[in-house]
Amino acid sequence: MRISDLFKMGLRNLSRRKARTILTVLGVVIGSLSIIIMRSIGYGMENNFESQVMQQGGLTTITVNTYADIIDEEGNYIDMKEQTLDDNLVEQIRQIEHVKAVSPVIQKNASLNSGKYMGWIYITAMELETFEAFDFPALAYGAYPTEEDNTSIVFGANMPQDFYDPSSRGYNPVQVDMQKDKVVLKFDEYPVNEKKKAFSLPLKNIAKMEKTDGEYDYNSYMDIDYFKEIYRKYCNTLSLEDRKKAMKTLSEYQQIKLNVDNIDNVIEVQDAIEKLGFQSFSMMQYLEPLQKASETLQMVLGALGAVAMVVSAISIANTMVMSIYERTKEIGIMKVLGCIVTDIRKLFLLEAAIIGLFGGLMGIALGYMASWAINKFGAPVFGSLMSGNYMYDMENTKFSIIPIYLPLAALAISIAVGLASGYFPARRATKISAIEAMKTEG
Amino acid sequence: MYNNKDEYIIEVKNVKKIYRMGKERISAIDDVSFTIKRGEFCCLYGVSGSGKSTLLNLMAGIEKLTSGQITIKGKNIHKMGEKGLAKFRQDNLGFVFQSYNLMNAMTALENVELPLVFKRIGAKKRKKMAKDMLVKVGLGPRLKHKPKEMSGGQQQRVGIARAFVSNPEIVFADEPTGNLDSKTSKEVMDLIREMAKTNHQTIVMVTHDRRLAEYADKIIHIFDGKVENIEIKEHNPVETETNTLGQEVSMTESGVVGILDQPVTA
Repeated sequence: MRISDLFKMGLRNLSRRKARTILTVLGVVIGSLSIIIMRSIGYGMENNFESQVMQQGGLTTITVNTYADIIDEEGNYIDMKEQTLDDNLVEQIRQIEHVKAVSPVIQKNASLNSGKYMGWIYITAMELETFEAFDFPALAYGAYPTEEDNTSIVFGANMPQDFYDPSSRGYNPVQVDMQKDKVVLKFDEYPVNEKKKAFSLPLKNIAKMEKTDGEYDYNSYMDIDYFKEIYRKYCNTLSLEDRKKAMKTLSEYQQIKLNVDNIDNVIEVQDAIEKLGFQSFSMMQYLEPLQKASETLQMVLGALGAVAMVVSAISIANTMVMSIYERTKEIGIMKVLGCIVTDIRKLFLLEAAIIGLFGGLMGIALGYMASWAINKFGAPVFGSLMSGNYMYDMENTKFSIIPIYLPLAALAISIAVGLASGYFPARRATKISAIEAMKTEG
Repeated sequence: MYNNKDEYIIEVKNVKKIYRMGKERISAIDDVSFTIKRGEFCCLYGVSGSGKSTLLNLMAGIEKLTSGQITIKGKNIHKMGEKGLAKFRQDNLGFVFQSYNLMNAMTALENVELPLVFKRIGAKKRKKMAKDMLVKVGLGPRLKHKPKEMSGGQQQRVGIARAFVSNPEIVFADEPTGNLDSKTSKEVMDLIREMAKTNHQTIVMVTHDRRLAEYADKIIHIFDGKVENIEIKEHNPVETETNTLGQEVSMTESGVVGILDQPVTA
């Protein structure tokens, strides 16, 4: 028989018992639907982790802070401890396996002054070689510090924020064009020593990052060596007492940042740092409980999908066996009229596959609807599932994303389930004796 | 020419069929041999239970035989594989059944199309062939009717159209009028004979009705699984029956009914 004739005949046979066919299809629908929802939630979560955490500074980044939060396994804050971060520790961390890049970090507030107007920036000074390793954002203009010229200051996309006139009574923000206007940098940490000329650094070499919607936008970055150089100059203008205090901040860092070669090794490296006696922080710490929660959810849904698929396979097999009983006489007639047995087998396999196909297609359609509904109304449910997760932007978060391969895979699985469960009934149909079959009533 | 083997389209040689019913062995066909010529209208005549239907099924390859051989068009059909036999049926055999055996879900047209569907003939061509055939059997206005919407005679006409649509060389008919009244029976028989004549087809018909057997050129009397007598009718242009297979054949003149050894219908 031709394929088109097999299709026509198969569809006709299925439509003869509409109610039974629909019920059988329904089983497949539930199976494929739960597979799609399961995977789409899993995919949605992975996607969220990546995009949201990337904005926060990358998943492979670990920071060791002077003031470290102590966090329990569920991600809840317990205590805080103070730890001394020096060059010695930087070297020790550099030796840990899987560490790709390490940099001490000095963070200081500084003021920018343009005429009578003033603005604030938060400087993060790091080793210039590590900017690339930490996947710093692309620049709108200017250049990152290099070995040849380490004097550039890289502003985050939102920096500096508006300038204002400190002597004015009201707050009247003004925009300063960093590229055109003359701007000088000053430190205001310690009182100005009247005996010496106050420190001020005219800014010449500036760069600006593209917008990332993350922490980069509100920071300004410099090379740590250049920062130390200018900060020492600043120290020299201070009183003796203040100078000592100020110089100490150059040898004891606020932070050590390091980058790990692979997400999977982040926790391992953190454990190693803990062995050195230091508390560290990474996004992975927050993600782990989240990922576990989503894995559990996926497993529950996956088990549901698998069970639904097995049940629908049984249901298809049952339908096909019933159908063969009812059509015994027809099968006999077909055989006598010269229908080759492979065509009979193909016919029944095709009917089973069509049930799978319809179930899969409906499952896909419902899957898209369910995905939409989850994203629209699912926030409260999923939000509570992700307790302790402060960074979720509930408005725009997609909990369920259906990648293009998913409906195709669901369809393939549905059809495969149909074929598999139709196999034995189809074989049974081919073995029916024509002469016996024709004697049956039907 | 008459002794030429090609002349015999069907050769049945020492065929035996034994059924096993539990421990008992029932001999349904016991060492039967005969031949059927090309274009002949042959009737297997006997009471119910005589084994005539079994013999037909054996000849059509629907049932397996226990021993002996059946040759159709020079091919031993019981040596063929399942697929080969199916193809052979598609190309050479047509079937008319007592209970019509139509597909209830299909219209008359679709039923007649069915053998052509199995032969992989294109939809347009086979639709035309089936339609022409239904018009020939007088069912032109009933193409779209389903079997349940037709009378027995009409259903059997559909059955006949289905049997003849692919122009097979041999048509097997198992009690084709068994479920019909005598008037319709006559119409159906006339139709079968006429169709076969126009295309020089060989008919093998099973019946227990002597009046229907009269349509045949050759009547093979079956009793208790054995060939009792082979009767040649005069309207047949073939003059003599040559006993090629050594079977004891008693010759009778045409039209002579009520031969001594004819079984009495129980």
